[in-house]
Amino acid sequence: VNGTVSQLLLFAPAAPLLLALALVLFPKTSAPIAIAPWAALPALTAALIPMPFSALHYSWVLLGADLGLDGTGRVFLLFTALLWLVAGIYARAYLPSPASRKRFFVYFLLAMSGNLGLIVALDIMTYFAFFALMSFASYGLVVHDRTPEAIRAGRVYMMLVIVGEMLLFASMILVMRTSDSLVFDAVGPAVLQSETRNLILLLTLLGFGIKVGAFGLHMWLPLAHPVAPTPASAVLSGAMIKAGLLGWLRMLPLGDAALPLWGGAIVIAGLAAAFFGALVGLTQRNPKTVLAYSSISQMGLITIGVGLGLLAPQAWPLTLTAVLIYALHHGLAKGALFLGVGVAAVPPSVAWRRWLVGLGLLLPALALAGAPFTSGMLAKALLKAQVAFVPMPWGYWIKTLLPWTAVGTTLIMARFLYLTWPRSRATKSKELGIWGPWAALVAAATVVPWLIPREHTPDLWSAQQIGAVLWPVILGAGLAGIARWTVSRHTMKKLPELPPGDILVPIEAGARAALQLGRWFSLRWLPGKYGMLIAGLTGMYTRSTWEDALISGEAKFGRWVVGVTLFLLLGTAIAMFALG
Amino acid sequence: VNWDAWLPILVISSSLLPGLVIFFLPEEYHLTRTILNLAGAIAKFGFVGIMIWGVYHGHAYQSRLPLVPGLDLILRADPLAMLFVVLSTGLWLVTTVYAIGYLEGSPHRSRFFGFFSLCVTSTVGVALAGNLLTFLVFYEMLTLSTYPLVVHRGTEAARQAGRTYLTYTVGGGALFLAGLVWLYAVAGTLDFAPRGFLAGLPGEQGPTLVAIFALLITGLGVKAALVPLHGWLPRAMVAPAPVSALLHAVAVVKAGAFGIIRVVYDVYGVEFAHSLGVTAPLAILAATTIIYGSLRALFQDDLKRRLAFSTVSQVSYIALGVAVVGPVATIGGVVHLVHQGLMKITLFFCAGNLAETLGVHKVSEMDGVGRRMPWTMVAFTLSAFGMIGAPPIAGFLSKWYLGLGALQAGQDWVVLVLIGSSVLNAAYFLPIVYGAWFKDPPASWPVERSFGNKETAWALLLPPMTTGLLALAVGLLASAPFSPLSWVRLIANLEYAP
Repeated sequence: VNGTVSQLLLFAPAAPLLLALALVLFPKTSAPIAIAPWAALPALTAALIPMPFSALHYSWVLLGADLGLDGTGRVFLLFTALLWLVAGIYARAYLPSPASRKRFFVYFLLAMSGNLGLIVALDIMTYFAFFALMSFASYGLVVHDRTPEAIRAGRVYMMLVIVGEMLLFASMILVMRTSDSLVFDAVGPAVLQSETRNLILLLTLLGFGIKVGAFGLHMWLPLAHPVAPTPASAVLSGAMIKAGLLGWLRMLPLGDAALPLWGGAIVIAGLAAAFFGALVGLTQRNPKTVLAYSSISQMGLITIGVGLGLLAPQAWPLTLTAVLIYALHHGLAKGALFLGVGVAAVPPSVAWRRWLVGLGLLLPALALAGAPFTSGMLAKALLKAQVAFVPMPWGYWIKTLLPWTAVGTTLIMARFLYLTWPRSRATKSKELGIWGPWAALVAAATVVPWLIPREHTPDLWSAQQIGAVLWPVILGAGLAGIARWTVSRHTMKKLPELPPGDILVPIEAGARAALQLGRWFSLRWLPGKYGMLIAGLTGMYTRSTWEDALISGEAKFGRWVVGVTLFLLLGTAIAMFALG
Repeated sequence: VNWDAWLPILVISSSLLPGLVIFFLPEEYHLTRTILNLAGAIAKFGFVGIMIWGVYHGHAYQSRLPLVPGLDLILRADPLAMLFVVLSTGLWLVTTVYAIGYLEGSPHRSRFFGFFSLCVTSTVGVALAGNLLTFLVFYEMLTLSTYPLVVHRGTEAARQAGRTYLTYTVGGGALFLAGLVWLYAVAGTLDFAPRGFLAGLPGEQGPTLVAIFALLITGLGVKAALVPLHGWLPRAMVAPAPVSALLHAVAVVKAGAFGIIRVVYDVYGVEFAHSLGVTAPLAILAATTIIYGSLRALFQDDLKRRLAFSTVSQVSYIALGVAVVGPVATIGGVVHLVHQGLMKITLFFCAGNLAETLGVHKVSEMDGVGRRMPWTMVAFTLSAFGMIGAPPIAGFLSKWYLGLGALQAGQDWVVLVLIGSSVLNAAYFLPIVYGAWFKDPPASWPVERSFGNKETAWALLLPPMTTGLLALAVGLLASAPFSPLSWVRLIANLEYAP
């Protein structure tokens, strides 16, 4: 039975892949597009079946592919599959025309296959293959609307995907120099033993950091996540962003050894992203861009957890739990918020229903801010508890700064609510199809802390704990309230907005100059130099008589007679040499 | 009858004989010509299949035709030969189908298919050659049988390209001949042997052997399009698409690359070549070619020209894998012989489809072409991603082995070359893919031919789809028995086994 059920692990990525293929192969049949929204069901089933799966080995595939589901994978599979499922159902109603829906679902299913596949992959190369499938396919989601912004976002996204692929390629072959197995279990020790350990760590951190939106590598994210159609934004920011995190968890030697310098650097990068994302996000006017910056900020906090793994390896098992719960919490809450943007854009005309939409936006926003009795509080409290194991001075600074990130998150959530709150009553709400999946996701994000087994959440709901998480939320909400009531709407509109992608602006200017240089180099300089070389070499014989003879001979005798003559000459030469 | 001796000859003659008959067929005997072509291709497939099975089980096939005392023409089927034979035979079959569709109704088809058959005969001969002399004979025969194909159209541009082609290749052949004569004078034999036959020569011959190596590699480097000997290749792309496909994927450039493999492994022996110090310059030359070709491809607007510069770059992966001394890098280089062949032939088929169906020749005309010819562009996209090195398509595994092999050989700089090349590949392939799929098609195509509700003729559509899927399959199922990668591991074991 176990063996048969384990085949679900193959079916998890295979189902969306086959459906995508069916969509392309049978464009006139209606069955594939009807089933497409449900493509994540096998994966969700696998995540929910409470029994261990036996690992699958495919010796013919790549250099031997391994699929399996460990504890880490199960948590990732759970929220990832749930998000894809909800987003798929939402997309069915959200995308109006059948043609654009079909186009959307082809890329959607391919990216889904990659995202689900990389979670069940247990070896480096399979992971990398699914990761590439997801990254390349989601380009189609980013540029779906074909607006100039979407195309620019797509271009920046694609460039960073390529850079990421290259960094990871280098990191993986460096690992494989020391490791004789591709399986992840062998990778951690191999990284530690490698003489190029630091290089591998750097390449892995940067390569997956692009997907995570780590500080300094984040510039594609506020462009790409918001321009995609809303259900795609939800999976980009909720699920696919976590593929980078999973890559870190799989490749880095977390819990195996203390690497304080690396751990410290990761923590600093995480804190920087947490504050930077919140601050720049506050200046944004597009609610989806605000959410994208919030994702950068939240992933920064999860990154701190990864850093803890290298600072305090002895506490890694519990830190891993904290990281996993944080990923689950952020995935669901951020997905619910993104889907909510689409719902709030067409607010219902009845007042109490509008309030219901508002509540649906408020609940996941509170969760992200870390208010009491939310998944966010649980995740933050678990993470904070792990800081106790970190040696000074790191521990002190993380402990001091962590609550202030919650203030930032609360502010950015207030900004988001201010921008999306359903006010007008002008439009008609007939997009009921997007209400259901959204409400389901809000519900899931709200109840999830209560479903986590109590042994992972010791004495969490005590008054002391609640007090510790409450003050940043109250402070943030208070600041937001003051801003709301003192600054007029008119002034608010005139406040400066940092261009989305922030540091991208100078980078793009530099890249444009480099491209100009490259064009000149490739079209002028290289051929010029080569031409000079060839002209020098051929100058001696181009005007010589045998070339002329060849040309005239060609004209006289037709083409292949010349060939035969040459062949005979050559044959004679060989024979003469052979006899001599 | 001694089949072991006859099989290599049968493999050669299964394309030689139909080719010779086709020359004398009147132009309008379309059906006879098609039957001859396909029968030859299928018969060759059968013979090769038997040989593959035999070689896998350690069987030796060898034909020896005495030429003069001490010098024979030898045809021998070792694993490396079989790799190239299978590639040529398989791709010849699909290219024949493609060429029949492509040239439908155009003049001089008997001449074309005659030389086409001679061309594959020479390629298989190059593959099966058991010594340098046999190699040279078929190598030159390849030059002479491809020249009429390059100038087939008979336009002024084609004639000029043909002249350039002939100047380069005959010049290269002459250098190769000089090296061969010198080598025979020094070593007294030309028969290929696993791990070479020169290691036993006295030490003071070192400089001579280096000079001979330079002559041989320069001669081969012309066909393998090593910079700065690549000038003929982008010009030869005026040839009809099936010819370009064959030239770039199998016949000419691969014969050069295959020759480099033979010279390094079976004449010098890779470790001896390394001790002579000739592999490092070869590696640098190959790396330069890889980067240079990609840089030139970047801004070419003519699609076939862009693909041609891409070939310049990609074929040097093979030489690079050979020159980075080590078993893993060898696997990467040699397997790229097949991987590049599958991907590049697909790309040229697709370019031909666009030209034949829509009159599209330029990258800038390809906007929205994915909507008009989706299957052609699916094949194109698969191969382009393979060239970039996206897993699990074939090109990724080549790069994986090349990179890993370079690291194991202590030549870390090669990884940077691979990464640079991948980035440049992305830079010149992705804009094409983007334009084809994500931009709106123009109101009308330059010269559109209608094929009913199909995007183009079956004979033009099936070959690129077959080879494109194969490029995916040999990567995805890289460890299956008889996959190119598994076969190349066998070859590397022979060269490096203790």
